[in-house]
Amino acid sequence: MTAAIETHKLTKWYSHRSRGILDVDLVVETGQIFGFLGPNGAGKSTMIRLLLDLIRPTSGSAQVLGLDVHRDRLAIDRRVSYVPGELSLYSELTGRQLLTYLGNLQGGVDAVYRDKLIERLELDPDKRIKSLSRGNKQKVGLVAAFMIRPELLILDEPTAGLDPFIQLEFEHLCEEARTEGRTVFISSHQLPEVEHLCDRVGIIREGRLLAVESIAALKERALRRLEIDFGEPVGVEAFANLPGVRDLTVTDSVLRCTVMGSLDALVKAAARYEVRNLRSIDTSLEEIFMAYYGADDGAAEEVSHAAA
Amino acid sequence: MLLHNVFTKTIRDLRWPTFWVALGMGAMTGYFAVLFPTYSKIVDLNSILEKMGPAAKLMGDIGDVSTLVGFLHIELFSMILPALIVTYAAGMASGFTAGEESRGTIDVLLSYPVSRSRLILEKSLAVVLGSVLAAVVVWILGIGGAAASASVLPPDRLAEALFMLVLLGLAFGAVALAISAATGNRAAAIGAAVGLMVVMYLVDALASIVDGLGAVRPLSLFHYYMGNDPLRNGISLTDAGVLAAVAVVFLILSVVIFERRDLAA
Ligand SMILES: Nc1ncnc2c1ncn2[C@@H]1O[C@H](COP(=O)(O)OP(=O)(O)OP(=O)(O)O)[C@@H](O)[C@H]1O
Ligand SMILES: [Mg+2]
Repeated sequence: MTAAIETHKLTKWYSHRSRGILDVDLVVETGQIFGFLGPNGAGKSTMIRLLLDLIRPTSGSAQVLGLDVHRDRLAIDRRVSYVPGELSLYSELTGRQLLTYLGNLQGGVDAVYRDKLIERLELDPDKRIKSLSRGNKQKVGLVAAFMIRPELLILDEPTAGLDPFIQLEFEHLCEEARTEGRTVFISSHQLPEVEHLCDRVGIIREGRLLAVESIAALKERALRRLEIDFGEPVGVEAFANLPGVRDLTVTDSVLRCTVMGSLDALVKAAARYEVRNLRSIDTSLEEIFMAYYGADDGAAEEVSHAAA
Repeated sequence: MLLHNVFTKTIRDLRWPTFWVALGMGAMTGYFAVLFPTYSKIVDLNSILEKMGPAAKLMGDIGDVSTLVGFLHIELFSMILPALIVTYAAGMASGFTAGEESRGTIDVLLSYPVSRSRLILEKSLAVVLGSVLAAVVVWILGIGGAAASASVLPPDRLAEALFMLVLLGLAFGAVALAISAATGNRAAAIGAAVGLMVVMYLVDALASIVDGLGAVRPLSLFHYYMGNDPLRNGISLTDAGVLAAVAVVFLILSVVIFERRDLAA
């Protein structure tokens, strides 16, 4: 089966100084909800606008539904919908007029389904878009995207400004799409926002795709936060610079740190002292995630090695 | 609701500017046509122009202003109407792509099955229609006014002069479109097109009194617009062809440039 999205060494330099994304090799299988995660400026929107052919790659290639993003543009447009990160719509139109226009450009949509979406997202379609709040504007964008029942939805931070109730309804819509075998690609900078929704996530930082993993695998490879109680006060020097050890603090006889990968070096170093207790504390997904993109370059490198 | 496609949506977007430019140009033309006999009775226009000497030539190749045709030629067709139609066409065309880009609506629009070239062509067709509509309004009010004052204004000649006027507007509109499609900057595109119009007007007007300018005169689009004095002599096909060619070339240029560009987020 062809992948919903497939990129090869996709690279975008906006200018010779301004990096967009670098050598991104990504495959998103159909029928998934895929989370595309990264901090501000990581390159999420760049990646998405490349897939939409709004900007052109410096090198590399991209296919959507097995079609070339540039050459087969119109065929892709008929089957894919998109909600931009900074959504701007014709503010002089009402929501209903805008949906009519976009529906006509699409060549007709199921009006019954569209009205059901309007109802489910509690959108007031007869207000002018310029008078809508940010969240309500976002609803118009979401109805526009879902109403064509696309094979692939590309959503750039779609939940910004939505209240919890509408956010839940949005998640139901994504899950329904998946049930029907359609694919959803969502960018976000918050893992908690998408962790329960996505099947897989890709993590991008400073333009590079660091890892693509199932949520389950991500949880499995948790960072371990360790606390060791020694029988005597220990010096911090004995544990500094051990491979994989981060956030090290030693207060009197208690050592706290986070360990990535093997515990071997730390345990061997600890064995030189009397160990009274050793606790491993479960880390939240958020912390795993922070390790991927909050860390300095060295640590990020380590993470991506661990991921490989 | 005119929301069927990009063409009809653009007509919707242009409806008020088109209404106002049509009304403005039409009202002026009608007004002069109605009041012309009164004017020419009070003032001997030809003798005033004679007193002005060479400076009068700045207003174009004048001819006889004691007729309505000569009067309209100098009062409206040499400067005011071109300025209005060029501002209209350039103002509208410069927003076709750059307006969508600066408002940020281009992302959603192009994610539907509309190609970049179709976007430009459908929008351009709308401004062609708008310009023609404005010209028709001018024609009706001009002919109506002349009939009311029992002045001579040949309907076919007026139509021909308006045809050239529309071509002039579209030529400058296409220039503005190309600049905006290349830069995404609407203000720069309007500024450049209107500035170019002023320069070209001056070149053409000055060329009739300053000998040295004769060589550059063919570079001015006003040379083709006014050259044959269409209100009196009708259209010269070569002149019309030059204006049309400029419009088409810059339209094609706009499409080619816009197809290749990264669009603003
Ligand atoms: N038009 C542009 N010109 C120059 N550089 C750009 C342009 N757009 C984006 N960039 C750069 O590309 C990088 C990636 O930006 P991008 O908008 O893709 O990030 P993002 O992950 O979407 O961030 P956010 O979470 O803030 O939306 C940034 O460093 C940004 O400065
Ligand atoms: Mg973004």
